[in-house]
Amino acid sequence: MLKVGIPRALSYYQYFPAWKVFFEALGAEAVVSPLTNKAIFAAGNSRAVAETCLPVKLFFGHVISLADKCDYMFIPALRSLGRKAYYCSKFIGLPDMTRALVPECPPILDPEIDLNKGRRGLYQTIYSLGSHFSSDKNKIKKAVEQAEKAHLAYRKEMSDRGITPIQALDETHRSEDKSYLEPDVSRGLSIAVIGHQYVIYDDYVNHRLISRLRDMGVRVFTPEMAEQQALDVAMTKLGGAPHWSFEADIVGAGEYYLEGKVDGIISVAVFGCGPDSMMIDMVRHRARGFRTPFLHLSLDEHTSEGGVLTRLEAFLDMVKRRRRVCA
Amino acid sequence: MRIGIPHCGNAYVIAEALVQKLGNGKNELIIPPPTSHRTLDLGVKYSPVEACLPFKLTLGNLIEACELGADTLIHARGTGVCRLGYYVKEQEQIIRDLGYDAHFFTLDVSQNRVKSIMRLIKELTNDAPWSKIISAFSFAMGKLFALDEMEKVIHKVRAVELEKGRANQVYRQAVKAISEAQTIREVRNTAKEYVKKLGQIPKDPKADPVKVGIVGEVFVVLDPFANMDIEMELGKLGVEVERTMSLSRWVKYRLFLNYLGIDEWEQVHKAALPYLRRSVGGDGWESVGEKVVYARDGYDGVIHLAPFTCMPEIVAQNIMPSTEEDIPVLTILYDEQMAKPGMITRLEAFVDLLKFRRKRRRK
Repeated sequence: MLKVGIPRALSYYQYFPAWKVFFEALGAEAVVSPLTNKAIFAAGNSRAVAETCLPVKLFFGHVISLADKCDYMFIPALRSLGRKAYYCSKFIGLPDMTRALVPECPPILDPEIDLNKGRRGLYQTIYSLGSHFSSDKNKIKKAVEQAEKAHLAYRKEMSDRGITPIQALDETHRSEDKSYLEPDVSRGLSIAVIGHQYVIYDDYVNHRLISRLRDMGVRVFTPEMAEQQALDVAMTKLGGAPHWSFEADIVGAGEYYLEGKVDGIISVAVFGCGPDSMMIDMVRHRARGFRTPFLHLSLDEHTSEGGVLTRLEAFLDMVKRRRRVCA
Repeated sequence: MRIGIPHCGNAYVIAEALVQKLGNGKNELIIPPPTSHRTLDLGVKYSPVEACLPFKLTLGNLIEACELGADTLIHARGTGVCRLGYYVKEQEQIIRDLGYDAHFFTLDVSQNRVKSIMRLIKELTNDAPWSKIISAFSFAMGKLFALDEMEKVIHKVRAVELEKGRANQVYRQAVKAISEAQTIREVRNTAKEYVKKLGQIPKDPKADPVKVGIVGEVFVVLDPFANMDIEMELGKLGVEVERTMSLSRWVKYRLFLNYLGIDEWEQVHKAALPYLRRSVGGDGWESVGEKVVYARDGYDGVIHLAPFTCMPEIVAQNIMPSTEEDIPVLTILYDEQMAKPGMITRLEAFVDLLKFRRKRRRK
């Protein structure tokens, strides 16, 4: 059976269920890299130029860890999901950067996803991707339909049950560790954590931010816990037509949770993120209008656990005192 | 209407020329003072910390224009992958927060939109007749082409002049004379005269300058304040500079020849194809392609300029070192923290490396 490597990084958190179903329907096996660890970070960091942002460096690390475990590496070049809103350059250049920096990588499957070019172009891209595994067009079509269903179910599950992608993915994988899955019913502070999935759900990058907040008795909301449509509406309200494909997850989620009257917002971004450097400021501006406490954590490879913890504690203390005073 | 614009290299000359021909007393053009450290400080103070240098500099320009009373601001906008598409959204908010009541006009630079530019001019001139607009536009373009032609010549002269700094003096006079010229004929004659003057500058007969190509993000490549006069500094080091990108070239192709299906970057994209298969927004694809082309053309090295955290150029930077066409690349990233002596030290070291490589190759 052909093995397709899927790095546990970047768009993995958004699309993994769909990809897995697609490749399995075509008779291939999806192999995922392990959770980010020190070795993965060191490997990725040694290849990319210093200015590259941490998640992209980690991506190369995940590719390296998979290089001898699969026949193909799946690295789509994500350009746009339509509406003239785009992904960051680094997503589009990902397959080519991998070729340049990880020469030992097996052949790369790099479909270019650009929905601005219409559905026809997308179908052609998917068929040529599927043709690596099957010459039966009907089989590919079915695989796509199943993948789409899996993606929608995944997204809906998160918003219906108010769980994070990690929780949703864990269930589908039946992992041993079930501590994540306990429903969150704490009546403590409600804090919205906004940021890219690959930042807020990669515990190596954010030093276990979400579980740490939960340990502190905080009820955490993340963008995926809201319905996509609600995020889109909130985004349009605050910033108009989107310029980035993930604007709904940052600007939209910020506005959505501000209107939902959370006790505070924590935005998490990695240092050097181009889109975030602009979008976070929109949310910060809005939070000032709502008089909602706002904490921005800028993370990079040098961020220490202690530093994150201190800032979280200080922020939560401030929010608590504020709630007491205002109540 | 008092119209303010941001700076980018010589771009203000176009605006100035348009006003010269179309000014009607009702509308006033406010060209902010040349980008200075004050501009940068203003931009840095009010921008998001991690915004890129072009954002901070243009914001500084616009604030300075507002201080002079501008109520209408013109800014470039791109629909594409780079941050430029978000500039106006963000800058509009910052300027409003500062208490200025200014209205933004955006100029979409990512598509071939000669029509929208013409319409913008018409709107800003209170409906001047088309004939007048077109002749004013071609007059402005004439100035721009003359200036860019001067730059091409001076890149060669600076590297070999006997008395360093002579060419720059002539160049400064030329810029002044061209921006003061009143008719298109005058512009052309002035340009011819100064090209001749530059040619007469005494040259070192023994000079054998190393040749370097400049590639990278368009704003820092074109704006001397942003790139800390890198071309002049290279000239002082006796380096001949070549740069494909220029405002006049952009206008020529984007506004006119692209319509006829002529793509100025076709060869460059083709050269990049084995290493980068698609555009990554901004100028990343072109940077990779141009490196390959300069290597093939026998240049000694490439200097790659980008604002710090520029996404398309980071892609290019990751890919460039591994191309088969081997040629040294020096990437210089600009932000508000950078100091000129640091840049000069790096340039000197790079030029030494190039000279050494050339000597070894010739043996």
